[in-house]
Amino acid sequence: MTKKWLPAIAVLALGASLVACGSDSSSDDAAPADDTMVTEDTMAPSDDTTAPEATGAGWESNFTPWTADAAPVNCGPKEGEPLKAAWVYVGPINDGGWTQAHNEGRLSVQETFGDKIVTTYKENVPEGDQTAQVIDDLIADGNTVIFGTSFGFQDAFAAAAEKNPDICFEFATGFKSAPNLSQFYGSAEDTDYLTGMAAGFASKTGKLGILAAFPIPEVIRGVNAWTMGARAANPDAEVKLVWTNNWFDPALERKTAEALIAGGADVIGVKSQDSPASGDAAKAAGVPWAGYDSDQSENYPEVWLTATTYHWDVYLTPRIQAVFDGTWVAGNYYGDLEDTFIRLAPYGKLVTEEARAAIEAKKAEFIKAPGSMFTGPLNDNTGKEVIPAGKQATYGELMAQNFLVEGVVGEIPAS
Amino acid sequence: MKSPVRLERRLEQPKWLNWAIPLISLLAALAVGAIVLLLTGKNPLDVYHRIFERGFLSTRALTGTLRTATPFAFTGLCAAAAFRLGVINIGGEGQLYMGAIGASYAGLVMGDSYPVGIVIIAMVFAGMIFGGMYAGFVGLLRAQFNTNEIITSLMMNYIAGIILNYLIFNSLSYWRDPRSAGFPSGKPLEKRAFWPSYEIAGVGISFGLILATFVAVAVWVLYKRSRFGFEIGIIADSPRAARYIGIRTKTTIVLVTALSGALAGIGGASQVGDFTHNLDAKGLQLNNFGYTGIVVAALARLNPLGAIVVAILLGGLTNAGYSLQGPDFPSGLVGTLQGLILFTAVAGEILMKYRVKRNTAAKKAMVAS
Repeated sequence: MTKKWLPAIAVLALGASLVACGSDSSSDDAAPADDTMVTEDTMAPSDDTTAPEATGAGWESNFTPWTADAAPVNCGPKEGEPLKAAWVYVGPINDGGWTQAHNEGRLSVQETFGDKIVTTYKENVPEGDQTAQVIDDLIADGNTVIFGTSFGFQDAFAAAAEKNPDICFEFATGFKSAPNLSQFYGSAEDTDYLTGMAAGFASKTGKLGILAAFPIPEVIRGVNAWTMGARAANPDAEVKLVWTNNWFDPALERKTAEALIAGGADVIGVKSQDSPASGDAAKAAGVPWAGYDSDQSENYPEVWLTATTYHWDVYLTPRIQAVFDGTWVAGNYYGDLEDTFIRLAPYGKLVTEEARAAIEAKKAEFIKAPGSMFTGPLNDNTGKEVIPAGKQATYGELMAQNFLVEGVVGEIPAS
Repeated sequence: MKSPVRLERRLEQPKWLNWAIPLISLLAALAVGAIVLLLTGKNPLDVYHRIFERGFLSTRALTGTLRTATPFAFTGLCAAAAFRLGVINIGGEGQLYMGAIGASYAGLVMGDSYPVGIVIIAMVFAGMIFGGMYAGFVGLLRAQFNTNEIITSLMMNYIAGIILNYLIFNSLSYWRDPRSAGFPSGKPLEKRAFWPSYEIAGVGISFGLILATFVAVAVWVLYKRSRFGFEIGIIADSPRAARYIGIRTKTTIVLVTALSGALAGIGGASQVGDFTHNLDAKGLQLNNFGYTGIVVAALARLNPLGAIVVAILLGGLTNAGYSLQGPDFPSGLVGTLQGLILFTAVAGEILMKYRVKRNTAAKKAMVAS
């Protein structure tokens, strides 16, 4: 008998340890933030009555080549042939969010350059080894410009860039660089802040909820900006934060939003979730909803507030032109409200005139000074000062942001 | 209600069925697929040509196919090994994650100091042990408490996913790359811990696939030629009879389930060693290797050697699928086509055991008697 039980006990022990380990990971709830800190004066009205309108020009000023005197990568088409460019998507092109916006960028490029370009895409591409294979396949098909749009593709893109020095690689939301690998993204924190303002104005109880994808700086910045916006509208507002650990999972997003509403949130926001599914939960509960990365004002008119939207063509069109001109060099692009890469979606009917005026005033500030909400004094949600008075977070600090501002009820795991 | 045809159990299964039915299934699948393609305005011949071209007809295509096939082979073996005993282990997915966790641990700990061969062997064994023990727990619950292993193994897939997320996204674990402070990812292995790959006639073959082939042979020998395999056959047919003649049914269930999980665990080790070279928490979960393994096992009729062949075919089909899709070929259509081929192939199985008979009054009377 003992012999028979030996493996069994060993297995049981491991199983028990694993179960214990698993339960640790669900402890996402943070200690509630203390309310002792003075809210900064983010609502100072702009005294500039002729607020600058976004011009759509000047994307170049947001683009920095990795090296100053880099030689252009010649990934243009052969004489008389069209340029072949490809996009690799992690989700489906009709996800109603992230991938859809990228695909609209692709279609816009196709339209702008017409016969001169042949664009293609691969959707639902899983991260991991398959990404590398899909890139290989696209290169074998003659594509010389390849766009990646999911953070998890980055290693495969960096490896492919090293292996194929004559192919131009463009990557959204990453950080790795190579002579033929660019990074492009934008200052979504500005519009996230404005979206948060709309949410703050819409909340009656001051208890808001936000679901967010992964605790990485890009997402953390958005959650922070959103919360600061909400608190600009309502200084007592608290934002309950739940991480989903998923970019695109409509069922999970909806469930998470339902849980937030059940927990007392009277406005729901999302950050870096690629589907509008949380809007369904908000609609069912009749709770105002601030979306993310797509204009859903027509699909959710009853609950819609506004959202951050990305307009990838602002960057894509001049970059493709550079390929044709033989001037393409790799670098980093961080778009903003000024060059219209980042925009605020149309307001819903739940956004009052008062709220709109306040949001527009703040928007005018951000057009002139992107990212300026992260100016000290700024405390995190444990009361520790993270940005000293008078200092504004640098680009590098924004890219590494690893704290939650006061007002966020939640925590960054592993910090 | 009278159906014009009925299924009649075959008393014997002629040898020719073994190749005729898969062939007919495939042709039927292609025919149904052709209708779908014609309805969506595509030329089926062009599409099929492209599938074969991009799946199998060049050294580059074959290299890719074998890469994609490698995890399918292991999860296919995992499912086949358990199903043969009648234990429906659908936890290959989670067992593969655990194998990846174990193997990346071994690779990270030993990668910079031990000889290359030792590191690789350690990774394989760590994958086996982690995957095997994770599955063994399912087997233990089944053997001791008669819990439904379909449910427990499925649920444990989700737990394994949460463990992966915990290790990479929600904690500063040993597996997480500290340099990826803001952007969580697995700690990369030392180059020395990378598994080798071989090139035969221009086709790259991963160490993992070669290992899978050897493992498949070993599993085949174990099931067909050993006393243990003989006992497994008896338990699968009749657990009561097995107990009556003194076979230690419970131990066997635990061992076989653990073996099944160990096979998926090597698959996880191979993901780390052959391909991603770190613990890729997101990538592992997005690929559904474990669930694909169930399809592999079913198509291979639970034959371990067949699982390798089917895995390669499915690898080609998967890669060709990515190759096909684009603006004029939505991924939904690719999925429909792949689904049709797999469905028809599995459906054809029924003809192995049954034959279709026309319903006539005379035959009915015979059956009724």
